Amino acid sequence: MTTKTRGGFFGSSSVELSEEDILAAMKSIHGYLDITPSDFKEVYGIAFRHAIERLSNMVKAGDIMTPGVISVGPDTPLSETAQKMEEANISGVPVVAGDRTVLGMISEKDFLWKMGAGKTGSFMGVVSECLSNRGCVAMPIRGKTAGDIMVSPVITAQRDATVFELSKKLAEHHINRIPVTDEQGRLVGIVSRGDIVDSYCAKIF
Amino acid sequence: MRYFEKMKGITKSPPRVDLWEMMWSWIGSFLGIAAVAFIHYQWLEKSDMTLIIGSFGASAVLIYGAIRSPLAQPRNLLGGHVLSAVIGVTACKIFPGQLWLASALAVSFSIFVMHATKTLHPPGGATALIAVIGGPKIHALGYLYAFLPVGLGAMAMLLIALAVNNLSGKRRYPEFWW
Repeated sequence: MTTKTRGGFFGSSSVELSEEDILAAMKSIHGYLDITPSDFKEVYGIAFRHAIERLSNMVKAGDIMTPGVISVGPDTPLSETAQKMEEANISGVPVVAGDRTVLGMISEKDFLWKMGAGKTGSFMGVVSECLSNRGCVAMPIRGKTAGDIMVSPVITAQRDATVFELSKKLAEHHINRIPVTDEQGRLVGIVSRGDIVDSYCAKIF
Repeated sequence: MRYFEKMKGITKSPPRVDLWEMMWSWIGSFLGIAAVAFIHYQWLEKSDMTLIIGSFGASAVLIYGAIRSPLAQPRNLLGGHVLSAVIGVTACKIFPGQLWLASALAVSFSIFVMHATKTLHPPGGATALIAVIGGPKIHALGYLYAFLPVGLGAMAMLLIALAVNNLSGKRRYPEFWW
């Protein structure tokens, strides 16, 4: 796997203007502009990041989360967990206690890992494991429960967390979804990377 | 060597303005300097007064030729000239026997104070320097120098800038007052 330069929406790469872009803009504005193209570029870059941060701070986790999330208990058998995920067509599910406080998260990757997918947790890892050994690749985790394979402690956020903070958490921890909890740590919703992308389309641009 | 690397520069010169812009710059600066020079030579010189100083030529570049520049705004034009004039006269009064020192202090303190008061106007440095190197006639004015020629002269140039720079549909002056 090639490593991509991390930048994206909040980095500098997407706001990169060429000197020709700036000179063309300066030409189209009437009169003498007392600024060099590189100074303009610097001002623009900082202003762009500032604007993204400001807009991101306007939208909160509570606005974009999916409420009423499907969840499982720590004692839920993995067969049932997998079935639930399949039925709802979701790739990750929170594990909650009886009072709905969040204990951990289970994603497709956690299944794959436990099925011998190796470090990357990819489906192809499981296929290769399956082809080189005989028998069902799900055997190692048969009879186990959600609590056995969940990732814990879990990264959570509260309803008033901003999209900026959520994006940062997703990027820093290399995760794809964040359970949203109330003040007592009880599950109230979930924010996925897709929810954040949608929020940009709907509310910002 | 980062130090020498920095001397290579990093960017290009801004684009050339169009012919209309050059024409309006010409008209503004002609009228601005004409107004100040006319009053000076036709009326004031006879009574041994001055309205025009060299630094107004530099101001004309900014307030008629680069009218969008922060350096060319009324706050900078008036503030930069008057503050620098006061500093120049003061430097000259403190070190009348060492004009080299008075010159350096006048310009350096002017830049410092113009920065601090957000009135940076490059011709102000010349105004401060003229207070020191301008000869007996300027020295005799004392602090009056800051009012006449500097204050009133800059004011006259400003009035012409307001009148001329707003004639063109594509021009607007000032960007801000204070």
